[in-house]
Amino acid sequence: MSELLQYIITGLSVGMVYALIALGFALIWKSSSVANLALGQIVLISSWFTYAMLVQASLPVWLAFPLVILFALGLGWTIERFALRPLIAQPILALITVTLGIGYFIEGVVTFIWPWSVDALPRLFPRDVVHIGPAVISQEYLWVVGICLVVFVLLTLFFRYHRMGIAMRATADDQRAVQACGIPVTAVFSRSWMFACVVAAIGGILIASIGGITQGLVETGLKAFSVVILGGLDSFLGAIIAGPIIGLCESLGGGYLTPHLWPGIKDIIPFIIIIIVMVIKPYGLFGEERIERI
Amino acid sequence: MKNKRLLIVTAVTCLALMLAVLPAISACGPKEPTLKIGIMTPSTGPAAEKGAPMGHANLDCIQYINDELGGVGGYKIEAVWLDSKYDANQVVTNVKKFMDKDCLLFGTASSKEMSAAMEIANRAEFPGLVCFNAPVLHRPPQHIYGQMTDYGDDWTAFARYYMENIWKGPGKPKMALHLLNNTTGYGARDAAKAAADELGIDIISVDEHKADTTSEMDSLTRIKASNPDVLYISSTPAPTALIIKNAVDLGLYPGITIGLGHASITKALVDIAGADVVEGVYGVFPTVNWGDNVPGMAKMTEYCQKLHPDDYGNMDYITSWAQSLIMAEIVRLAVTNVGYEVLDKGGVEAWRAVEKYGIQKLNYDVEGLHGPVSYTPGDNRLAKSLRIFQIQKGAIAPVTDWIEAPLVKYEEFDWFGK
Amino acid sequence: MSLPSGTRNYTYAQDMAILRTKTHWALFAGFLVLLLAAPLYLGGYWLGVMNLIGITLIAATGLNLLIGYCGQLSIGHAGFIAVGAYTSAVLTNRFELPFLVGLLCAGLMAGLIGIIFGLPSVRVKGFYLAITTIAAQFIIIWVINHWSFTGGFVGIKVPYASIAGFEFRSEASQFYLIMSITALGTFFAKNLARTKVGRAFIAVRDNDLSAEVMGINLLYYKLLAFFIGCFMAGIAGSLLAHWIGYLNAEQFSLTESILYIGMIIIGGLGTAIGPIFGVVFIRLLQQVLTVILVPFLESTVTALPSGFATGVTPMLFGLVIVLFLILEPRGLAHRWALFKSAYRLWPFSY
Repeated sequence: MSELLQYIITGLSVGMVYALIALGFALIWKSSSVANLALGQIVLISSWFTYAMLVQASLPVWLAFPLVILFALGLGWTIERFALRPLIAQPILALITVTLGIGYFIEGVVTFIWPWSVDALPRLFPRDVVHIGPAVISQEYLWVVGICLVVFVLLTLFFRYHRMGIAMRATADDQRAVQACGIPVTAVFSRSWMFACVVAAIGGILIASIGGITQGLVETGLKAFSVVILGGLDSFLGAIIAGPIIGLCESLGGGYLTPHLWPGIKDIIPFIIIIIVMVIKPYGLFGEERIERI
Repeated sequence: MKNKRLLIVTAVTCLALMLAVLPAISACGPKEPTLKIGIMTPSTGPAAEKGAPMGHANLDCIQYINDELGGVGGYKIEAVWLDSKYDANQVVTNVKKFMDKDCLLFGTASSKEMSAAMEIANRAEFPGLVCFNAPVLHRPPQHIYGQMTDYGDDWTAFARYYMENIWKGPGKPKMALHLLNNTTGYGARDAAKAAADELGIDIISVDEHKADTTSEMDSLTRIKASNPDVLYISSTPAPTALIIKNAVDLGLYPGITIGLGHASITKALVDIAGADVVEGVYGVFPTVNWGDNVPGMAKMTEYCQKLHPDDYGNMDYITSWAQSLIMAEIVRLAVTNVGYEVLDKGGVEAWRAVEKYGIQKLNYDVEGLHGPVSYTPGDNRLAKSLRIFQIQKGAIAPVTDWIEAPLVKYEEFDWFGK
Repeated sequence: MSLPSGTRNYTYAQDMAILRTKTHWALFAGFLVLLLAAPLYLGGYWLGVMNLIGITLIAATGLNLLIGYCGQLSIGHAGFIAVGAYTSAVLTNRFELPFLVGLLCAGLMAGLIGIIFGLPSVRVKGFYLAITTIAAQFIIIWVINHWSFTGGFVGIKVPYASIAGFEFRSEASQFYLIMSITALGTFFAKNLARTKVGRAFIAVRDNDLSAEVMGINLLYYKLLAFFIGCFMAGIAGSLLAHWIGYLNAEQFSLTESILYIGMIIIGGLGTAIGPIFGVVFIRLLQQVLTVILVPFLESTVTALPSGFATGVTPMLFGLVIVLFLILEPRGLAHRWALFKSAYRLWPFSY
């Protein structure tokens, strides 16, 4: 029984990590329908930048983090302005492929600046564990869960009440109508990329503080796709709920199935779930079903 | 519109220039007689964390040999270095490039690279040397040689050390395996499958993780429930650090023994997990450590700090520096035994000569950087010894002398490769 | 429009012909001679690159049928290539069946698996479908790694390709084998696009609801597209397996799948010539950067920062992809068409 509780707590906390990165993905998808394949690399370069600030420049944390946020904002703005803006109104696949190119470029920049390619961030959170009944959870994961929830609440409020947020939602709905209303669509895209990069950077710092900065961060970024699909590509609520569900399935499935099946079963559980969701509920748990007309 | 066309024209011209000029430039270097060796490292891509410093080390070492020792046997060594990007297709074309350029032998860093390259090399009888060795690469022995012991030998060596020095209880110790999902991980499982019974160890569970895992609490919870005495991890530094951290959180460690394969136990592991977390963890490593008192250490440290100061302290750097030393020694033997003319012919003839009069005549101490290398018929591992290390106060310190790892003939087991 | 003025079609056969004028024939013959004589003037390395391009082209052509013509986004192509590669490897290694049987079964097996993972395409499209195919990629590779039959993590050895006792040992003989199959594949794709099936694909791509209303069986044609696309991936996989000689599931990564999409988009979606441009461009760029540029930099410029020579490869690679898409978002094939018409209409281009 204590194992079950441990599996549940682990699953929920890991799921929140996925959800955080998925948020960064959903932000861009929501405003411009572009699937950002460079997400993993953005996570990577942001964590390296954090490393540069905290370790190489040995800045205090209160100064380093605002700088990282600024860096992420700048990164998002640059990507949108120089790579995606020229492609507005082009086939959507061309935009997706551009993000692939951006990904390679960022990877090159990372290798260029930090050629030793693996390092550790200083310990940001206390190492002590918190006991919940017979189960334990490390404070690192608790912080991740907390920060993820804060980001989620902030984004939801922004999209509900702020003018820009409402404009972003409107853009996602119908670009042409929005443009006709006099809303600068390019500014909307630019903001969504900037926010997405900030969210990815936060995700990167949290994951890197737990597992170190490695090329593996790129893969983690890709894994978030599966979370997004379960929640529905355009839904924040979806991402935040689907993350823990995927995490739970991984942890419970891995926990109870591995002894009976091949080891490593947990790695494909999210993908089996995807296939099942696709067949049963094609637009995800919370995605908006589009009614098509000819 | 005009602007756009101009841009396209410039882009195309640049590409065309690159295509046309570069081979020309690279072709017209100085034409003094050299001994060519091919070196391939995954310097970019998913394995860059190991590949990049290894590539630096390979080239730094060749530069040292050429500049200070004047090459080998009177000839300079020409290193043809290519990045493999950890991509099988690139590996294949790289090997063809090495063969095209008449390299005498080639070296790769990772076992994945070699697995893509080995059949082409074996078919052509082109000798290859791999740093990080896996059983599949040299069993059955053909033209690929392992610089060091393989991931399976790590397990065997650790298991023996554990049985002789740590295990005190009655009966069989219970061991859980935690493996990276590739040859690095599964090389250890193959060894465990082959030798656990003989050593009197009970393998109670086999778990697998990915290189980008974010939590292994679930698998460790299950492992904890089965009350193991020892946990063996064969992986790379970042996931290993995460597993050990999670084990500490769960209260699983300290309390049991943790052993690591040689791809795990590096400085990066200590940095990521924190010295207090990994205190007391055992690991197997086939080379010496930085700062050890061996003949080759001074020059290696000097070159590393001069050319790639970022890599100082990286264990993989030592491995690849040693690889270059061994390759230089191989071509030195070959050129003294058969003469430059035979090697200059290139192709199969030169490769056979390198294998027969270079690799198989090898008897070299690698300037003390790792166990001595020599060839025993039927065993394509050149260095066969390794040492057990323990992390003590954040430093990786040896606890044994060199231990010889026995040869396991994996191909004789009917489950191997199945 | 696409023919020089004065060229008239008097029969349907003339109208459908791919090569229409004498210049076409002359250029085609010249190209063929140049290609077939390649082993005479290319070394082992460049032949190897040609072989890699040929194999990639077969798979990319299949993917182009699936994405470019039928509009079904798939980001799991490397997974389907792996299915083909392993089918061929297992059949020729474990069962010692002839190469041709392995080749055919590789295609069929990949096609069947493609149909299974293509089933959700009936209900979803666009990026939702893409995620399903990513899932296919991970599941396929995972099964290969854990199923003892395929050699698991150890991998599996693949014998030389051989037909009727002739073993394709040398790079040159493999070149002819691969090139003939590549030519067949390209020819098949070019013609398929002009048949009833191809037009149905295009209708499904442009608007599947309208297509259904017109009486096109969506289920049938979507799955057919998956079958054909993955069949070609399987054939490419089989050739790849016999060319490399040793398979390890790590060779078929998600990055490779994504790169395939990049290739056909850079080449030009939904054109027969697009994949050729895209594949040649990407594969050559990779080789030029890693094999020529980087070692050159490393050996000549010594005062470089340590990450420069390695970091410059992905940086340039990404930069070139981005620039090409910004300058020519409709792919190289579009630029090629513009160039051809400019050439034809010169000097009266208005």
